[in-house]
Amino acid sequence: MTTSSSVLDAGQILAEDREPKKARPAKLVAERDNLAPRGWAAVVQYTILVLAGIVSLFPFYAMLIMSLREPGVPLTFPDSLVPKDLTFQHYAQIWNTGKMPRWLMNTAIYSFVSVFFVLLFASMAGYGFAKKRFRGREVLFWMFIAMVMVPYHVTLIPQFMLISKMGGVNTYWGLILPTLVNVQATFLMRQFITSIPDELIEAAKVDGAGEARIFFTIIIPLCKPILATLGLFVFLWHWNDFLWPLVVAQHPDVQVLTTGVARMLQENAPLSSTLAGSAIALAPILIAYLFASRHFTEGAIMSGVKG
Amino acid sequence: MHLAKPTTSVGKTSRRRLVQRREALAGVIFVLPVVVLFFVFKLFPVFGGILISLGDFKITGAFEFLGLDNYRDMLTDRAFWNSFWVTVIFTVAVVPILMTVSITLAILVRRIAPFIKFFRAAYFIPSITSLVLAGAVFVWVFNAGGIVPSLAQLVGGDGRSWLGQPVLALAAIVFVAVWGRFGFDMLIVLARLQDLPRELDEAASIDGANGWQRFWFVTFPQLKPQLFFLVVIETTFSFQVFDVVFVMTGGGPSGSTNVLGMLLYEEAFRLFHFGYAAAIGVAMMILLVSLALIQRAVMNRGE
Repeated sequence: MTTSSSVLDAGQILAEDREPKKARPAKLVAERDNLAPRGWAAVVQYTILVLAGIVSLFPFYAMLIMSLREPGVPLTFPDSLVPKDLTFQHYAQIWNTGKMPRWLMNTAIYSFVSVFFVLLFASMAGYGFAKKRFRGREVLFWMFIAMVMVPYHVTLIPQFMLISKMGGVNTYWGLILPTLVNVQATFLMRQFITSIPDELIEAAKVDGAGEARIFFTIIIPLCKPILATLGLFVFLWHWNDFLWPLVVAQHPDVQVLTTGVARMLQENAPLSSTLAGSAIALAPILIAYLFASRHFTEGAIMSGVKG
Repeated sequence: MHLAKPTTSVGKTSRRRLVQRREALAGVIFVLPVVVLFFVFKLFPVFGGILISLGDFKITGAFEFLGLDNYRDMLTDRAFWNSFWVTVIFTVAVVPILMTVSITLAILVRRIAPFIKFFRAAYFIPSITSLVLAGAVFVWVFNAGGIVPSLAQLVGGDGRSWLGQPVLALAAIVFVAVWGRFGFDMLIVLARLQDLPRELDEAASIDGANGWQRFWFVTFPQLKPQLFFLVVIETTFSFQVFDVVFVMTGGGPSGSTNVLGMLLYEEAFRLFHFGYAAAIGVAMMILLVSLALIQRAVMNRGE
């Protein structure tokens, strides 16, 4: 219920964003003026907005500046936040002597491989659930939805023991395999594919197209927009994932960025180095946001979960 | 179905059956990867978790059945009750703060014309940031010499690290958790607000309703479905909180931030009490499912 209504919301937001603003400029301005704050109220309201903006963005500033300060500078407030005597020494050091490149590569493997298979499997299953009739379809789907209620911690221990029995601890496949079934993604894909008209599929069948061809040449191309948004979110979820890698991939060879930075914190590495590590780990996500902020916004509203 | 249409010739019926069977087979093949993975890595572990909670694994790997012993131990364990209450307090603090902050900001952002995109982006960025990575900065923010203790010193604080003092450490965790979620919640509320017709708000304004009355009687009732959705998912998230606690306090000082997720992790992966940890997991599941049912009942009554 929630998902369908949020998908609707996403559609409406998009419609709003695309709506040509010039179409009725006079009325729009008038509307804004009626409710826009004036006088002291405006001062108070802008102050709240700006303060909230500072609180949200300040940690990124602090991270950047303190990771660029020279080694040995005491990092006490407020002196540590002054951008002077900046140096890339900490970045160079963790890049050259630390395990940073390895963590970055592992995180990239974890994220890209998972995104590819999650999208492939979820759209396949979405197609099956939406357009095919087979025994047990409803029961299966019902089980999927019920699973959303189960907290992750319950499955964590058995999942770990299973992977451990299969010999997957500290391997890429052990890290990746259990994350490839994404219930929310499957649900969304089913939702989206249901809206594709059956006539398109029937027409292709009449032309003699096989199932695989229908799926790859008709369904997938039509799903492109939602695949882009969903893919971005699955990527974000894997890039930021912490608990599962912490449990199953502790060996330095397969360690990811989040668990690596957490270990630096625990081992009391110099703060500037740890912050440099965090900054490197965060950079790809922030850059992606700059280029695709709309997909992020849509995805947030659509998926209804953080990743 | 076929009995209802006895007129079709035998050849046609079997042909249609063949097509149906082929369709069904195709459907099964398409859902197969997800279904297999689902059974192995989701459904089976749920039952596995319940089973493990009824016993214990020896160092040799042998499983010993203990019945409800783990649950008895859990319910008489002070550490469990401590974690239970810490988690409840954390959730009860985080969810209302999140709702208040995100509604307030959404309303203010909607009212202003300029910079709306900037503010929306600025608030949203923390919610795509890993709290483990941001945690490195927040540890500094709340430690001695960082911003918060230093500023507290100006108003009479002692300048000690917040992360070393029980109540303040929990407050710090709450702050970071809110920081990491409010932008997302605000976005959902704002999306809904932008759908609402302005005419209602304006009409109320012309009738002499002040800002607060307009919000409470006009806007708020129309936000209910979204707020319900947010309360449900934020309660679920808060109840399972782990990352922030792990990086910022590790559950300390003296258990004051040791949420259930943290306790489970420690028991399972530091002490290797898999059976006991699984029992904590099952307890979390029971608590969360009953919470969801209660929330649903409240929602249904409200409509």
